[in-house]
Amino acid sequence: MSSISVNTITDASGGTTTSINGYTPTVSNMAGRNRIINGDMRIDQRNAGASVTFDGSNKYVTDRFFGFSNVGTTTAQQSTVAPAGFNNSLLVTQTTGGSVVSSSYVALQHRVEGFNTADLGWGTASAQTVTLSFWVRSSITGAFSVALNNSASNRSYVSNYTINSANTWEQKTITVLGDTSGAWLTNNGIGISLVWNLGYGSNFTTSTLNSWLGSGAFGSTTATTAFATTSGATFQVTGVQLEAGSVATPFCPAGGGSYGAELALCQRYYWAMTQIVYSCVYGSGNSMGQIWFPTTMRASPTVVSVLGGGGTLNDEYINPHYYGWYVTGDTTVNCTDIKVDAEL
Amino acid sequence: MYKLTPINLEGVQNNVKRLSDNACIPYDPANTDYQAYLEWLAEGNTPEPAEE
Repeated sequence: MSSISVNTITDASGGTTTSINGYTPTVSNMAGRNRIINGDMRIDQRNAGASVTFDGSNKYVTDRFFGFSNVGTTTAQQSTVAPAGFNNSLLVTQTTGGSVVSSSYVALQHRVEGFNTADLGWGTASAQTVTLSFWVRSSITGAFSVALNNSASNRSYVSNYTINSANTWEQKTITVLGDTSGAWLTNNGIGISLVWNLGYGSNFTTSTLNSWLGSGAFGSTTATTAFATTSGATFQVTGVQLEAGSVATPFCPAGGGSYGAELALCQRYYWAMTQIVYSCVYGSGNSMGQIWFPTTMRASPTVVSVLGGGGTLNDEYINPHYYGWYVTGDTTVNCTDIKVDAEL
Repeated sequence: MYKLTPINLEGVQNNVKRLSDNACIPYDPANTDYQAYLEWLAEGNTPEPAEE
C-alpha cells in the first residue's frame, strides 16, 4: 500500500478533476455532505402544497422545516417559485402584520439530528468549521438574521445577512467556526438547530453577532422586523445546505439527488398513509395488527390513526420499527389514516 | 389533556393518549410529545385514568 498527499489533482487534459477507478468526483456528486434534509423543499408529506397557519406550536410546512408565530397572521406553504436549478421553495407570508414586542416571535426552523452532526466535533477542541448557504427571496429588504443553537438552547451563534433587492433570489453564505464549548448532542436528539428570524422581539435577540454565546439567542437586534409588521410580506427560502468547511459548495440534496432517497430520509421523522390495513384474528374473537414503518424512525413515534370496527382497544404497540394494535371483542378491526411523527 | 391507556398483555402501561387529536404517545424519552407530556405532568396536571 502507498498513499499520495497533494492539494490538487489535475487531469491530463488540463481540467481540474481526474478520474478515480473511472469515477470523476465533483462537488455536485459527492452525496452526504449536506446535513440539511429536504433543503430544496421538494418533499411535503403533510400538506402537499397546502397552506399552514403558524401559531405558538411547531407547524411543519415542507418536511423537516417548521415555523411558529405570535404576530398577526403568518402562513406558509411549499411553492413552485424557485431560483434556477430548483423546483420548490418554502414560502412564508405575513398575511396580516402586527406589532413586534419583546415577547414576539416569527421564525422558521430546521433541526439536524445529532447523529448527522456528530462528526463535526462541536463542544470539543477539534470542532470543525461549517458553512451554511441558502437561497432567499423576500418582499422586504434589509438585514435579516439566522441563528445556530444547540439542543439546550444555551449555545447560540447569530449572524446577519442582507436582502439587497425585493422579490429577487439571492444566495447567502455564512461560515461559522465550530463551537469548542457547550454540550452538543451526538445522538438522536437535536444536534444543531437553525433558525431564520422573521420577527423576534427583544426577549430572544442579541446584539452580539458572529460569535458563540453561552445563552439562548435566536435573532439579531439589528435585524429588520418589517416582515412581521407588514401585511402581505413574503419570504422564501430553498437550497439550504449546511456542510463542513469554510466554502459553500454547490447545493446537493442530503440524499444525493434522487427523490426516493430524500423521501426516505424525511420518513425517519414523519410519514403518513391513508390505505387500510386489516387485522389478523387473534385468540378468540380478538384482532391484532401491525404496520411496519418504511424506515427506522428516529425514536418511537407519536401515532395518530383511525381504528375501524368495534371491540375494545386494549393496547397500541409503538417502537421505531412498527405500530401495532390489539382489540378485544371484534375480529374485523382495520387501521387507516395513519400519521407517524418522530420529529425532533 | 391526556388519558392513560390500559395495561397491556405484558402487564405494562406504555403510552398515553393526547385527547386533542387522539394521538398515541409512547413513553420514549426521545419523543418530543412525550417530553411535552412530562412537562405537563410537572406543572401539576393529572391524566385521565385508563378505561377498565
